[in-house]
Amino acid sequence: MQLDQILLAIAIAAYVAGALALIAYFLTRNEGLRRIGIPLAIVGCAAQFAELGTRWAISGIWPLTNLYGSLSLFSAMGVLIFTIFAFRYRLWFAGGFVLLIAAIALGYATTWNEGFMPPVPALQSYWIKIHVPLVISAYASFMVSFVVSLLYLIKYYAEAQYRRGGVVHAAAAGSTGASIPISAASAYAALDDAESGVRVGARRGDTPALAAAAERGDAVALWLGSLPTLAQLDVMTYRIVGVGLPLLTIGIITGAMWAKESWGAYWQWDPKETAALVSWIVYASYMHLHTRNAWRGVRAAWISIFGFATIVFCYLGVNIWISGLHSYKV
Amino acid sequence: MAAAVEQLRAGARETLEDLLRLFSSIYFAVSLFAVWGFLTLIGVIVDQGKDPQFYWTNYSPALARLVLRLHLDNIYHGTLYVGVIGAIVASLAVCTFRRVIPARLPPLRPVRIEHIPLNATLALEGEESTIRERLERFLRERGWQIRKREFGGEEWTFADKHNWARRGVLVAHIGFAIITAGTTWYWAQGFSGDTAIVTGETQTIPQTGARIRLEHFGYRFDPIKTKSGLIYQPIDYVSQVRYAGRDNVWRDATIRVNQPLDIDGTLYYQATYGFATEFSLLRNGKPIAGVPAGFLKEGQALEVGPGRGIEYSQFVGTIDRKTGRATNDPRPNDPGVVVRIVDGERVLGAALLPIGGSIDLGRGFRLSAPRFVVYSGIQYRYDPGMVLVGIGAFVLLSGLCIAFYFLPARLFLRLIGNGSKWELGVAATTVKGYDVFEDQFRELVGALGRCN
Ligand code: HEM
Repeated sequence: MQLDQILLAIAIAAYVAGALALIAYFLTRNEGLRRIGIPLAIVGCAAQFAELGTRWAISGIWPLTNLYGSLSLFSAMGVLIFTIFAFRYRLWFAGGFVLLIAAIALGYATTWNEGFMPPVPALQSYWIKIHVPLVISAYASFMVSFVVSLLYLIKYYAEAQYRRGGVVHAAAAGSTGASIPISAASAYAALDDAESGVRVGARRGDTPALAAAAERGDAVALWLGSLPTLAQLDVMTYRIVGVGLPLLTIGIITGAMWAKESWGAYWQWDPKETAALVSWIVYASYMHLHTRNAWRGVRAAWISIFGFATIVFCYLGVNIWISGLHSYKV
Repeated sequence: MAAAVEQLRAGARETLEDLLRLFSSIYFAVSLFAVWGFLTLIGVIVDQGKDPQFYWTNYSPALARLVLRLHLDNIYHGTLYVGVIGAIVASLAVCTFRRVIPARLPPLRPVRIEHIPLNATLALEGEESTIRERLERFLRERGWQIRKREFGGEEWTFADKHNWARRGVLVAHIGFAIITAGTTWYWAQGFSGDTAIVTGETQTIPQTGARIRLEHFGYRFDPIKTKSGLIYQPIDYVSQVRYAGRDNVWRDATIRVNQPLDIDGTLYYQATYGFATEFSLLRNGKPIAGVPAGFLKEGQALEVGPGRGIEYSQFVGTIDRKTGRATNDPRPNDPGVVVRIVDGERVLGAALLPIGGSIDLGRGFRLSAPRFVVYSGIQYRYDPGMVLVGIGAFVLLSGLCIAFYFLPARLFLRLIGNGSKWELGVAATTVKGYDVFEDQFRELVGALGRCN
């Protein structure tokens, strides 16, 4: 086995094991599992970058000229972005799903590995070293935001389900005792902090039905209740999309500059660049709607899910089914 | 009469106001985005810019009819598409002036602290002036910009962070507008086109008068063993040319993929290449009147009668000598051409004709292809808006980064009480709602409480 293949095997093994550990952490909140899962994620990610570097060193060929290379970078960047966000915003709970997607993407990538292939003339440009990593990093960010939105929706609909299923526990619902609609303003109340003598307006939990069920010992509710609040999940998604959208914007712009240099026009309405524009439109809409109170939360989460569906279409659908100037099959 | 005119004016004003209100609604903008996205997606799925025949052959009849009736075959240049982009730009402009600018730089006004979700009340003790001084120092040290105003005899302190970043949205919108202006400039004054130059031939570019002569076209394909078999990977395409621009001086140059040639501000790109093949059709050994001899490019046909022709459909680089079949080696080692005899839309037959050889077509007809030459496909483009698009892209990105990575927040502080007993009310607002600032607000108020 060559060094790059050994590194690839290490990365896949680390992602699979890490995904299992972090999914188990998600279900049990056992800190020990997190302490195993996160280092595995880091090891897998490092092995992947080392593998891409090794391929470059062995062949002298920039490794991102085919779907194998780009999917590898997608999974490595997805894990990297997740890890940074996890340390910054305590995003551990999403790790198992991110690693699972990374492992699947990497496994699928290997089916496209044709060995070392020199790039076709159009790809022999310094732009490939700028444009491709930017676009792939944008896709990877959207993958992480997709996972967080998915968890948002699970928690949101579980709350709705529990609310339909019974009267909300008075203590959890606050003084009104009635169910509280999940909206930003109503979820706030002034809480007294006995210790400092300070009254602070703060969020009082935006899933009262889940909180009530958790108090009764309901396992699913306990588990979902240990996720961040819906508002926090929404803010996390927003922040990750806030990384992805500028990356996608620079990615599309650098792609246009490259197209100008190799095909004579920034924009040829090639299926790939056009599909990226569709994703850009969806995420730009997300950002605009997120400025409205009524659109934060569940609607924004659905847009983020839809946005990632357009990314999958743009990334894999167009490459595999629709041939064009960008298709790696040509 | 005057009353009627006045009424008409009022009606027009109202309609205009309604229109402006519509165009400044963010929901309207997003609806336009949705239509834009949908139309763009149709263009990804439906093949663009093909002949009507293509749709009839490849799509179901109903779908082909739909595509052609609704002009979905050239969607990006259709009125609807351009109209939607125009509406987006108009909406962007109206929104920028009516909402983004006024809303993003809010005036300093007192608020009802307890009505703002992020609020806190702290009990403080000491001299009023000392408390105020301590408070201001605390906030300044943390990067807040302090301003004070009096309203109804009550002093309010306003603290802003990243206030400058409130202009991020404006910057992003301006960037988008500049890009649109750059692309419109190209539409108005730019041009593009393509030309195929056969080796040894000189072409004059109609829009610029520049002359380009192709001295030599080189290509390189490397055979590479992959898991799915041997493939021939293209490695390089290069045109050696001589050209004369406005100054009429002939110069040598090389055009490669990713390395265009600049003649008087117009750029020339290596786009494609192909093999022009010479055909000759004889009947009973004699040339046929009305059938021109000469070079054809792939896709062209020799007309031999009304609707009838011999089409040069494909160049084959290497024919396997043993089997007489085409191989996947595109290099012209043992070259040949695929020809098709067509009658209107019907294909009567096809044959692989080796270069230098001939085939009998029956009834005394004999087709030969004595030689081929390489031609280089050059694309050219003059784009005066390019610099604007570059600037716009930079401005747009700066705006995005400002809007996303800096969170303008405002604190409203009111001190009430007397003697040495005071109550400090603090409220916070941000341009992105309250949730995004909750943790920081708690931390800030906690620190304020501790520094008391
Ligand atoms: C139809 C066109 C557009 C309209 C009418 C529009 C309108 C607006 C408005 C009113 C806001 C502020 C919302 C608020 O805080 O109250 C906003 C935010 C923003 N707009 Fe636009 N916009 C348009 C297109 C664009 C485009 C093409 C871009 C380019 C990327 C863009 C980038 C932004 C950004 C970055 C924000 C800030 C979002 C945030 O703070 O999270 N907009 N837009």
